[in-house]
Amino acid sequence: MSLKVYADRMSQPSRAVILFCKLNGIDFEEIKIDLSKRQQLTREFRDINPLKKVPAIQDGRFKLSESHAILIYLASLYPGVADHWYPADVSKSAKIHSVLDWHHSNLRHGAVTYVLNSALAPALGLPLNPEAAAEGEKLLSASLAEIESVWLKGKGRFLLGSLQPSIADLSLVCEIMQLEVVDDKDRERILAPHQRVLKWIDDTKAATRPHFDEVHSVLFKVKEKLKKLRSQGGGAGEAAESITKACVRSKM
Amino acid sequence: MALKLYDDRMSQPSRAILIFCKANGIEFEEVKTEIAKKQHRSPEFAEVNPMKQVPAIVHGDFKLFESHEILIYLASAFPGIADHWYPADVRKRAKVHSVLDWHHSNLRRGSAGYMFNSAIALALGLPLNPEAAAESEKLLSKSLAMIESYWLQGDGPFLLGNEKPSIADLALVCEIMQIEAADENERERILGPHKRILKWIEDTKNATAPHFDEIHSIMPLARQMLKELKVQASKP
Repeated sequence: MSLKVYADRMSQPSRAVILFCKLNGIDFEEIKIDLSKRQQLTREFRDINPLKKVPAIQDGRFKLSESHAILIYLASLYPGVADHWYPADVSKSAKIHSVLDWHHSNLRHGAVTYVLNSALAPALGLPLNPEAAAEGEKLLSASLAEIESVWLKGKGRFLLGSLQPSIADLSLVCEIMQLEVVDDKDRERILAPHQRVLKWIDDTKAATRPHFDEVHSVLFKVKEKLKKLRSQGGGAGEAAESITKACVRSKM
Repeated sequence: MALKLYDDRMSQPSRAILIFCKANGIEFEEVKTEIAKKQHRSPEFAEVNPMKQVPAIVHGDFKLFESHEILIYLASAFPGIADHWYPADVRKRAKVHSVLDWHHSNLRRGSAGYMFNSAIALALGLPLNPEAAAESEKLLSKSLAMIESYWLQGDGPFLLGNEKPSIADLALVCEIMQIEAADENERERILGPHKRILKWIEDTKNATAPHFDEIHSIMPLARQMLKELKVQASKP
């Protein structure tokens, strides 16, 4: 197979790309770039992506980075990918582009800032940064509210009122899943007011099983390790440190 | 079908769309929606864009916001747009998407953050934040360096080594042009080291003349206004 996907499953956008490939039966070789071991900084990987971020793909001699660009490329190139992932109709695909763009500076920015500054700092032996976490949480909460009031409006269960998921659902849900590494009660505090978001996450999981669970299994293993560390009083355990580094370097 | 563009010429993404439309002879009605006058918060505009941001378009009964999407939509929906703006080839197109995506969290975040915290906040009745401006300037400088070392590599003068500009060139150059509203010594400090960037801006300007200059004619006025606001703000 000629398609190579360079990814770390602790990276939200990496998961979205892997999930898309598996759902659509796209043959690919997954090459793990372990962010906790700084493998994104190696010369070999810099040849693939000079921006030193995952995910990245190589298709023959063609190299590409930025997960949204990758998802659009794969949806456009591979025959047999159902239209709902990335519609041929320009007005429909324009709306998908719209939410994917909004995502960068809103859900992603908020979620990444919050997770880093609340859950991961202690694991690195760094002081908590409650101010930065609070700022991140504000943006995250505002973004979740906008998903409910704008992006999930319409007849269907998915973003943009669609009856079936698109690449935008994969991208945004994989982002929210990163909250699994945060303390349970904090995660509940943030997500509980957003019942419509919780339903949408469940619908997306249901529409993409069994691959969704399999692709997220690493995240859940790390979540369990972190939980243990917290109940033991916290500290820079190896697992916690690896998550921290992964999240810090994952396309920030 | 009528096209309405809701914009503010002080908004970098608004200018990219204006230049694209004019350079491609796309007819539109410009509906000025000025941020400094809080027009983006009106209930009428919320009907157009519930996110309350410019730019936004209404094309017949179709509404759209987020400037990259608007550029992509216009390039796809209007006949006679030259291929180099948004190539039909899936791989060339993917590269355009790649740089537009990178732009959000890098050049835009750095540049908009710097300009807002060092100057533009005053125009919106908010205080300046020199610490935040310094942080943003770091990201801005890093992004300019990345554009030179990576995105501008190749045979041609434009992004991705292209011979002719794409919508990505418009989006990113209009972003950098916001720095025209800063003081001359700040502009020199930030852009001076990046000769390749300065050449690329010139090339993009020439490729879209006379519209580029016409649409950016607001910048000297903006610079003057921000200078005056800074003077007032520094008075006890």
